[in-house]
Amino acid sequence: MKAAFPWRAILAAVRRESRGSRARLVFFTGCLSVGVAAVVGVGALVGAVEGGLQAETRELLAADLKVSARRPLPDDLDEFLGERPFRRSNVLELAAMALHAEAEASRLVELKVVDELYPFYGDLVLDPPERTTADLGDDAIFAAPELGLELGLELGDTVSIGGADFRVAGWVEDEPDRLDFAMTLGPRVFVGHGGLARTNLSKAQNRLRYRALYALDETTTDDELDALAEELDEKEGEYLSVDARSEAQPNVGRALRRVRDFLGLVALLSLLLGGIGVAQIVRAWMVGRTRDIAVMRSLGYRAIEVAAVYLGHVLLLAALGSLVGAVLGASVPWIVRIWAPELFRGGAANLWQPLAALRGIGLGVAVALFFSLSPLGSIWRVPPAAVLRAEAAPLRVPLLVRWGAPAALFVGVLLSAWSQAGDWSVAASFSGGLFVLTGLLWAGARGAAALCARVPRGRLGPYLEHGLAALARPGAGAVGAIVALGLGAMVLVSMFLVEDRLQETLRGALPEDAPTLFLVDIQPDQWAGVETLLDEGGARSVDSTPVVMARMREIDGEDVNELVERSDERRARWVFTREQRLTWMDELPEDNVIVAGELWSVPDVDEVSIEVDFAEDLGVGVGSTLTLDVQGIPVTLRVTSLREVDWQGFGINFFLVVEPGVLEEAPHFRIAAAGMDSVDGEYALQNAISAEHPNVTMLRIRPILEKIAAALERLAFGVRALAAFTIVTGLVILAGAVGSTALRRTREAALLKVLGVTRSGVVRLFAIEYALTGAVAGAIGALGALTLSWAFLEQVLELETELPWIAIPVTALAAAVLSIVSGLAASGRALRVQPVETLRG
Amino acid sequence: MSSNPQIECLALSKELRSGARTLTVLDSVDLAIAPGELAAILGPSGSGKSTLLGLMAGLDRPTRGSVRLLGQELETLGEDELALLRRGRVGFVFQSFHLLANLTALENVLVPLELTGQPRARERSLEVLEQVGLGDRLEHYPSQLSGGEQQRVAVARAFAGRPEVLFADEPTGNLDSETGSRVLDLLLELQGAEGTSLVLVTHDPQVAARADRQIHLFGGRVVRDERAAPAS
Repeated sequence: MKAAFPWRAILAAVRRESRGSRARLVFFTGCLSVGVAAVVGVGALVGAVEGGLQAETRELLAADLKVSARRPLPDDLDEFLGERPFRRSNVLELAAMALHAEAEASRLVELKVVDELYPFYGDLVLDPPERTTADLGDDAIFAAPELGLELGLELGDTVSIGGADFRVAGWVEDEPDRLDFAMTLGPRVFVGHGGLARTNLSKAQNRLRYRALYALDETTTDDELDALAEELDEKEGEYLSVDARSEAQPNVGRALRRVRDFLGLVALLSLLLGGIGVAQIVRAWMVGRTRDIAVMRSLGYRAIEVAAVYLGHVLLLAALGSLVGAVLGASVPWIVRIWAPELFRGGAANLWQPLAALRGIGLGVAVALFFSLSPLGSIWRVPPAAVLRAEAAPLRVPLLVRWGAPAALFVGVLLSAWSQAGDWSVAASFSGGLFVLTGLLWAGARGAAALCARVPRGRLGPYLEHGLAALARPGAGAVGAIVALGLGAMVLVSMFLVEDRLQETLRGALPEDAPTLFLVDIQPDQWAGVETLLDEGGARSVDSTPVVMARMREIDGEDVNELVERSDERRARWVFTREQRLTWMDELPEDNVIVAGELWSVPDVDEVSIEVDFAEDLGVGVGSTLTLDVQGIPVTLRVTSLREVDWQGFGINFFLVVEPGVLEEAPHFRIAAAGMDSVDGEYALQNAISAEHPNVTMLRIRPILEKIAAALERLAFGVRALAAFTIVTGLVILAGAVGSTALRRTREAALLKVLGVTRSGVVRLFAIEYALTGAVAGAIGALGALTLSWAFLEQVLELETELPWIAIPVTALAAAVLSIVSGLAASGRALRVQPVETLRG
Repeated sequence: MSSNPQIECLALSKELRSGARTLTVLDSVDLAIAPGELAAILGPSGSGKSTLLGLMAGLDRPTRGSVRLLGQELETLGEDELALLRRGRVGFVFQSFHLLANLTALENVLVPLELTGQPRARERSLEVLEQVGLGDRLEHYPSQLSGGEQQRVAVARAFAGRPEVLFADEPTGNLDSETGSRVLDLLLELQGAEGTSLVLVTHDPQVAARADRQIHLFGGRVVRDERAAPAS
């Protein structure tokens, strides 16, 4: 018997079902909107920041094409452009010390060496505004205003850099190819190529970054540029980095996308918790509608038609909840701009991100849909005979409905994760992990319920016994509420634990005896003078090592160029072609441990000891031979030991340590590390070293750590905010779960009152039930969080972690309190109602 | 009987399991209801009246035996096919009214008409609500209507689609006698006017006395099947 699907009747029924569902509307909207707001907020924020970058791509590069390297660019670099007309500007960057002799003040600066062509696009904004790069000449600099403030400089003052004096000819207010939120070592200083030549910084070749900026013909399209960039990248990719204007600041773009993918998944978690809330609400709603479903079926509705009515209503509510969430989420960029305006470069960012909002609405509706399918499947169980006999036996649910709904849920979660992370393997791990965790929580909740059922009665008093019975009662929704709340608690607690441990690592990053400053580019004949200054300045734990620069030529007799060609991964190529820093020493520092072979153990052979991970990257082991090109002279070394190095110790360490007696005659410089107890002492030392040894650069660790801490703090704030979203969702879910059982609650309260329990007594009964639900959820969630964060910290980050077991009772208590508050708030009507009203029906 | 019966039960039995115990609610009932016939099923509580009605209407499945409703063997039909058979051709009036709570009186009557895609559904609903005397209560929700009014809406809903068979399960059971009597008048009046077959379950002999035929059930068996003498 075939019949057309009665769309009109179903649409009319959907519209009518929307009445009288205020509580459902509130909880449904609450559950979904929080998660959608999180998803949209992350998407809109990253979109706005990235959009701002995209809008000014050419300006951000200051060129059409940029080629950079850590060693001098090849002489024939321009050949890749063929016959194409072009202009080229050469830029160098390095860190150096700037000294204001009159004020006896110095500061580490980021030096940018430019020619008159710089920048091709965008503006170098200077004060006074009429200045241009042509004014730099050989003896002028433009400096960032903060350098003026720190060194007490005024326009026209003289500052010494790398042993040469420069006149401050202007202040740099904006520079096109530099992002305000990028990590920097110090204020910017512009100098001309002629100016650099006057300094003694050319000895610091190893710290120079070389760039060629190209401006091409206006007719060159983005595609042509991409093709050129790709061609060059393939040819010289092992040490050149090529960026085209079509993807300006690709590193920032990549970093942003990583942040988006990570935060996107955290936000999705909050939305999926909302989905659990939706499932709870729909389940309770279907229970309350059993009679109506039976009536509809007796009137001739097929089960699928009844399901279509309720699904239609779910979709309406989902659209509304998602819309509310999208509006909240879409406003995130505006809110963030208030406290971090620098994220939105130059005001070009479009804060209104309609695509992120639409995506959020789509995800919200999809999540509501997938999570509703299983509870809606209960419609098939309702027998039409229930119109005659409430206890009529339920019908058998068709297999397609019974298994299709959970399968659709899994696929839906997988697709949502993929849409957030953009990677199938991440999506699969996320979904799989989530299902396993949910399964464990579910098992824990069932176990707790079974335990409650076995507690001997008659000893605990009526209130506690009622609460235990409520947890144990089948079909009360306690298991669902525990799973939802437990997941929320697990997410929140694990984030807290991981963040706390990372913060602790950061705080402990500078142990008492750790160096607080590094000195680089000390020429061998300067070391005695520098050592004296360190001594006079009160430095402790002074450590100094010679450094010889070299390049890898052969490994076990094979040319590295051939190895590079054979290797696919960029990292592997980098390992072979990077400039290798070598040192020599008789004994290893304490934070080095030999794990294979023996140090300086083979007579008549020049030996090298390699850091164990680096050896793995190179594909060498004890017995291998390396031939290094030390400034034109080949040196062959045999690997006789592998070392493990504690890189977190901040000591001076090397991948390659050579046996004494091999490199002493090679050109080298020294680096040194030292500890200073006060910031003032560091400044005084910095000034003294700048005055006497202007080519020596001093790096202070403290400000760098502070910058890392600030950057981490920002990310942590984002994660905390999103974690708060998940806990809010958890609470809404609990309130929703309670609110949606209002019918049962009202009857229960009425019956209890008739039996002589006072209103405050009913409040106590309910409160104990909610407290137990919250406590069980909190305890199971915290246990899961401890396991998760331990696994992440120990296995992924390799950080030793002591599990704070106190988290379990604390979380259980907190969850119990929150559960009581939200539960009682949602039970208000049930508590107020007169018993006679309810029992009369 | 001049034509084929609209409902025909053959050796109809229904057993319910309660723990280890099996309860025979209906035991080998044979019955046929002719088109336009008004049959009352009488019997004390637990005699199987409502169960029989549910089986005849395809709301429930028998343990043994068969039911033929409007020419269809019900045991050969799935749940959806049963729903389609009921749709528009079978009406119900229940003891506890069973109106949809979030729908107005008018909308409750509209539901079965919309489901069959009947044209002029609204006009027909207004007409039938007018017939049951509720023309001024169209926009009222069930909670705003008295019990008698709710049952009159249920009667209007049952007749609106002009069903061929109507099942009424204790339609006056939840009403005081005066209201019950008015609802019964209405039900019979509409049944007469539309020529619908009506199966009426009741334990009230006075209600049953107004039927063409009284089928007495006891212990799940038909113990007496009486036809009233034709009116002179």
